[in-house]
Amino acid sequence: MPFVPNPELGNRIITLMAALVLVLQIAAVGQRGIVSSIRIFAVQSFLLGAIAAVIAYFNQASHIYIAALLTVFLKAGLLPRLLERLVEKVGIRREIEPLINVPLSILISGGLTLLGYVVAESFYHPEETSARAALGHNTLAVAIALFLIGFFVMVNRRKALTQVLGLLSLENGLFLAAISLTYGMPLVVEIGIFFDVLVAVLVLGILVFRIGETFDSMDVSKLRKLRE
Amino acid sequence: MNMLSLSTGFALSVAAYAAGAFASLACWRRPALARRICCSAALAGAVLGGLTSVLGILRDTPVAWSVPSGIPLFAYSFSYDALAGFFNLALAIPVAAVSIYSFGYLKELEGKRNIGLFGFLFNLLLLSLTVVFTAANAFLFLIAWEVTALTAYGLVTFYHEDRETRRAGLLYVIMAHIDAGCLLLGFALLINSTGSAEFASFRPLAAVLNGGQQTAAFVLFFLGFAIKAGVIPFHIWLPAAHPVAPSNVSALLSGIVIKTGIYGMARIFLDVLGGVPSWAGLLVLIVGVVSAVLGVLYALMEHDLKRLLAYHSIENIGIILMGLGAALIFRVAGHPMLAAVALVAAMFHTLNHAIFKSLLFLGAGSVLHSTGTRNMEEMGGLIRPMPVTAFCFLIGAIAISGLPPLNGFVSEWLTYQTLLAGFGAISGLRRILFPLAGSMLALTGALAAACFVKAFGITFLALPRGAKSRNAHEAPRTMLIGMGWLTLACAALGLGVTWFLPAFDAMTEQLLGQRVSTHLVTAHGLVLSAGMPTSGTVSPLVIAVGLLVLMVPAALLVVLGVRRFGRKRGPVWDCGLPGLSEENEYTATAFSKALRMIFSVLYKPRREIQAVFDVSPYFPKEIHFESEIEPTFEKRLYAPLQEFIFRVSSRMRTIQAGSIHAYLAYIFVTLVLLLLFGVRK
Repeated sequence: MPFVPNPELGNRIITLMAALVLVLQIAAVGQRGIVSSIRIFAVQSFLLGAIAAVIAYFNQASHIYIAALLTVFLKAGLLPRLLERLVEKVGIRREIEPLINVPLSILISGGLTLLGYVVAESFYHPEETSARAALGHNTLAVAIALFLIGFFVMVNRRKALTQVLGLLSLENGLFLAAISLTYGMPLVVEIGIFFDVLVAVLVLGILVFRIGETFDSMDVSKLRKLRE
Repeated sequence: MNMLSLSTGFALSVAAYAAGAFASLACWRRPALARRICCSAALAGAVLGGLTSVLGILRDTPVAWSVPSGIPLFAYSFSYDALAGFFNLALAIPVAAVSIYSFGYLKELEGKRNIGLFGFLFNLLLLSLTVVFTAANAFLFLIAWEVTALTAYGLVTFYHEDRETRRAGLLYVIMAHIDAGCLLLGFALLINSTGSAEFASFRPLAAVLNGGQQTAAFVLFFLGFAIKAGVIPFHIWLPAAHPVAPSNVSALLSGIVIKTGIYGMARIFLDVLGGVPSWAGLLVLIVGVVSAVLGVLYALMEHDLKRLLAYHSIENIGIILMGLGAALIFRVAGHPMLAAVALVAAMFHTLNHAIFKSLLFLGAGSVLHSTGTRNMEEMGGLIRPMPVTAFCFLIGAIAISGLPPLNGFVSEWLTYQTLLAGFGAISGLRRILFPLAGSMLALTGALAAACFVKAFGITFLALPRGAKSRNAHEAPRTMLIGMGWLTLACAALGLGVTWFLPAFDAMTEQLLGQRVSTHLVTAHGLVLSAGMPTSGTVSPLVIAVGLLVLMVPAALLVVLGVRRFGRKRGPVWDCGLPGLSEENEYTATAFSKALRMIFSVLYKPRREIQAVFDVSPYFPKEIHFESEIEPTFEKRLYAPLQEFIFRVSSRMRTIQAGSIHAYLAYIFVTLVLLLLFGVRK
């Protein structure tokens, strides 16, 4: 008789981890140091990989393991390392004052989380009582919140590097949404997305480096001259 | 069999144009070869297209074929009915002439210009026109429409070094895209109601659309087609673009490209929408009257030969619209017979204008080719060095002035008769409009005749007004053959109109369910009537024979007189002043002076005379004269519009803050709002 895992248990584990991911995201909003931001992102990505693995285990979808492995390897390993090396090269370790101050930012993040729940609510069908539906309900809200907060970070920060981090956590939100709703897209699509993210970070890394070289600063507010 | 040969002919003609386009582009390094390929391919395409169109005109039922494309809503659907056949004929006749003409005309450009590119654009333009006239799918139609606009833009700006040319091209391309936008919206409205883009699926729509939708569809299509046709007040691109284009291209632009607007109106209003409300017909009629009268009045003030012809295109489009508008009104009012006669008048004038306007532009092209100027004030006396061109131009001028017995007379006469019949057929106050429009048409005809007396007289008669026209020479033979072919067509369609009219039967049957040629032609095919018991009759053939007979006594008198008294040559009476020179001649400005004064309310002429005196105020040393008329539409309508657009855009520019954060914030706020909007639903 094959071993059938208890979906209820898996559901709880995933909800717990998703909550942690969200907390980390809000922590990133309040964080000033660039290196610690990168590390928060690494931990968040690791958790995301773990969520993928748990989903793979409880739903017996073996190909999600690959996605999980890729997440851990790329987002929790390779990308943070690349970014940290970039920080050393450019020699900037602290973010200057964001456009909106930290307490207000965290309040806004709370509001965005609420919006995430409101939006996810409209996808929730109470007549579907399966564990799957419930899982989708909760994690989708977290995923949308992740996405919105990531976007907010991009708008709010001045340094190109922290904007890259915002983009990456935004992408994490998309990954969470995809994996919790569909239980894994076809592998080719997953690999394509990973490759995409990697290339994006490489390009952005080069761009950040060049901006720093040309303007003696990574402050994108100084790019205004490009308007003409 | 008939159906097969029709679609084969169509395919062959399209293939000839396509082959010509790409082959001449491929040979651009060998100009002589490229020129031959370009012209022979266009000629072959025109001959094949012309033969096909005859089959299409004579068929009672349309031929339709469709090739699916795999793209939603889009299919290569064609429908070859009598209307399509008729416009293809109106395409083929001038194109045949223009392509023969271009053999000689393009020769002097060899080595100076990229003739391969010219051949590519030229043949592609012809190809797209053929597709516009036969497409039965909205998107296929729009794509062909757009290709027409773009290739015409390329041809208009062929002499792109000139600043004036580039400005004209820009104006043309802007107007062309406004009209394409209107058409796109119009079709979107229809597609939205049916879920299909085939013309055939739109036909049952007329009963389904509510009043607002019907109005919107009419306004959008009318705007789109009116801009293309160069109807006043959307005409400003036309007198700018036609003169600067190479003359063989101007002939096509005026002859057939602007007729795509007329085709579109006939196709959409009469066929696809199956009729429009009465007020819409009235609007078309009124716009036609305004275009005709203002077009000819502006033409009178022009001294640039090609620009003068361009304004006459506006006038003739107006005359065509009068016929079309009358047809639309009669159809709603329940007079299918009158509607059919009005439609015949409009379509016949379309064909006639395509022929004589191409002829006149080709003639102007020969003059330009020979003298190197478009300014009539520098011409004069060209009839001696260029007699054949002068004769062809004269025939074209008689035809466009609506003088019997040529083709322009016949179609204007038919339009006139239907307008007069409208007074009796239509009830209510709007019937007054018909005789008013008729009298405006008569005024237009008279003014056009005055204008062409000026155009022909100043250009070809009297003494040369400068070195440019003294050294003129006749055009090469191919150019003369091209013009001669159109001259023949002018005469044939005028004298042989009674044999040509049955060609309209299939079209009026398909669009209005009436066959009118038997009513129009009476007395064993010799006399033309307007089909009403009260209407007048006329016979161009008898008029022509009568003119010839009247010439006999005059000729006899001359012959007898020469024999009796001998031939003597004497000097022209010079009022006692010694020696007449070209400085004593009437100028074009002087010729139109009387009309400039009569219509000064409209022209708002401004003139400036500065004289420098030496000793006595009676003997000025030099006089500087400057005169211009106010470009009313540019100044009153388009200049404020342009200013408004600039003001709004400079205000919109503040949104472009140039800051990445601002752009990200725009996206972010939009996203959040959209999410909230989605949730609320």
